[in-house]
Amino acid sequence: MELQDIYYTNAEYIETASGNKVSRQSVLCGSQNIVINGKTIVMTDCVIRGDLANVRIGRFCVVSRRAVIRPAFKKFSKGVAFFPLHIGDHVFIGEDSIVNAAQVGSYVHIGKNCVIGRRSVLKDCCAIADNTVLPPETVVPPFTIFSGSPGKVSEELPECTQDLMTDVTTSYYQHFRPHGKGK
Amino acid sequence: MATFMDVNLVRYLCSCGKRYPACRLYLCRHCLKLRCSDCVQHEVDSPYCPNCLENMPASEAKLKKNRCSNCFDCPICGHTLMTRATSQMMANPDDPGKSTPKKMYYMACSFCRWTTRDVGLPDRVVANGGWPDEDNADAKRINTLLESYRAVAQREKAEKERKKYVKRRSHAGFQDKYGLTSVAMKWKIQPAVANLSIKEKENEKVPSPPQMVEPVTDFDPLPPEIFTEPVQLEKVTHLTHRLAAPEFQPAETVDLRPIHKHLLVRRSLRCRECEHNLSKPDFNPLSIKFKIQLIALNHIPELRIMSPATFTPNKETVVTFTLSNPSVYNTVVKLLPIEGETDTDYMTAKIELPKADLVLAHHDDTAVYDDSSKISPEFKDDPRVIVFRRANKLGFVAKVTPICKSGDVKVSFQMKHEFRNTAAAIQSEDKEPKLEWLQQQVFVRLGRIGQ
Repeated sequence: MELQDIYYTNAEYIETASGNKVSRQSVLCGSQNIVINGKTIVMTDCVIRGDLANVRIGRFCVVSRRAVIRPAFKKFSKGVAFFPLHIGDHVFIGEDSIVNAAQVGSYVHIGKNCVIGRRSVLKDCCAIADNTVLPPETVVPPFTIFSGSPGKVSEELPECTQDLMTDVTTSYYQHFRPHGKGK
Repeated sequence: MATFMDVNLVRYLCSCGKRYPACRLYLCRHCLKLRCSDCVQHEVDSPYCPNCLENMPASEAKLKKNRCSNCFDCPICGHTLMTRATSQMMANPDDPGKSTPKKMYYMACSFCRWTTRDVGLPDRVVANGGWPDEDNADAKRINTLLESYRAVAQREKAEKERKKYVKRRSHAGFQDKYGLTSVAMKWKIQPAVANLSIKEKENEKVPSPPQMVEPVTDFDPLPPEIFTEPVQLEKVTHLTHRLAAPEFQPAETVDLRPIHKHLLVRRSLRCRECEHNLSKPDFNPLSIKFKIQLIALNHIPELRIMSPATFTPNKETVVTFTLSNPSVYNTVVKLLPIEGETDTDYMTAKIELPKADLVLAHHDDTAVYDDSSKISPEFKDDPRVIVFRRANKLGFVAKVTPICKSGDVKVSFQMKHEFRNTAAAIQSEDKEPKLEWLQQQVFVRLGRIGQ
């Protein structure tokens, strides 16, 4: 089924010159450390913790409502250090998910209500099923679906995942439109 | 999308008779037939560890029992174990009075907090490896069995080579008896084993069969403590814990040991009929690129339902579908009804399809950057059939009348479409790729009958 239109009120979102749509009700801490490359949607009540370390988000990403993106830390003998978080292109992060990863590749789908543990590495073309808890330092290889608590490989993704995720995120962006502005 | 949207609403009929969504199908360019993962031959390209992502040749993986030598799983929850460093005070051998700090390593699970110290495994002095593997009590027996089977396989191979006139097997992979790469090839063994029993008479040297196992006739009675002592459930392992290590099957938690991580495989797919590759991934397990990738989605027009609809029994409802063209040429699509289909498993409604040919515009990679939605004037569309046209996509309407009283509304029809075979064009060096007509049967689940 094709994606359906999702409407938002014009005052709720700010659209930047590069096409990012960022909700006014989202919390972007340390916004000078947050880079969003363009055509990415950051929805209401999201938290992006740029105050901890740099956060880079690629093009055509969707950060759904109430998702939290925060760079991971590692304990060393002398205190803790935060690592910059890089999220690739065409990444979909579901509602209420918490992403503590060290790296999220491109064409990744994170479901709703997930916890991505500290310093996890999500490679390109992988998916995390809804309600999954990934323990710290998990590695998710390409073309796998992780599910359960603790998250384990449960399925394989089709070879055309890259095309499918590109299609989903671009059409999601096209269908995410303001009220009363029919085109 | 396979995880984000319900791709199972529209399914195509594979040449083997199964129904799959377009993203799970392959199109063999040489047979011009759809293939699914159940009717192609799977070949292991490279096993790799899902944690350290190190890949190795299949023979090395076999030697390591398809497990990673460096990564371990927690025996309780199955998560990967982490190495932790601690410093311990060690007695100095030169000066017994003094002690020096020394770095020691143990493994811990970050999810369930199990550690190797819980079961009394001593800490290691090196960070990686060095964890001893327990010896399997049955290793000797397994080795003798393996050896005798190898002898049988060798004899069979020699026999096959002697009879050169016998039709040659097309794949070297099949020679790999008893270490078969594909379970699906099991049926191939059966006749070979049957041949063996006949040929035993003519062959003078028969490998001696392994020692037979004595059948178990009676068991020791249960110890009397089992009826008197209370069960300490926290010390007894679960069935899943025991089955995770089938060679030891620890009954008590103190016997649990870290489990070597299972390897995953990268595999290539091959058409069974023409033996051409349908999918060949890059050697590196981290790469998402493919050397060969014949996905149906890249060659066959994709049909989707435009929006959800509710249905009433025996009442006409207009449903909008979309068709998108993956090809770089304009493609003509004809939709044909299936006459006389009575199977209500796949057909619970009548569908009135557009009679005219639908012409899909070619796929253009640059269309993504073109925001102006101008309609190219080259198509003369009937506005009663085609509702919109955008880049390589068009929307058309069809009238659906459910004939069932309740449940899912399902329709099925034939989709005939043009296909330009670029593979054949390269071989014959023609300028224009050869035009073929392909026909696919499509099964669509439109929605439910409203209450």
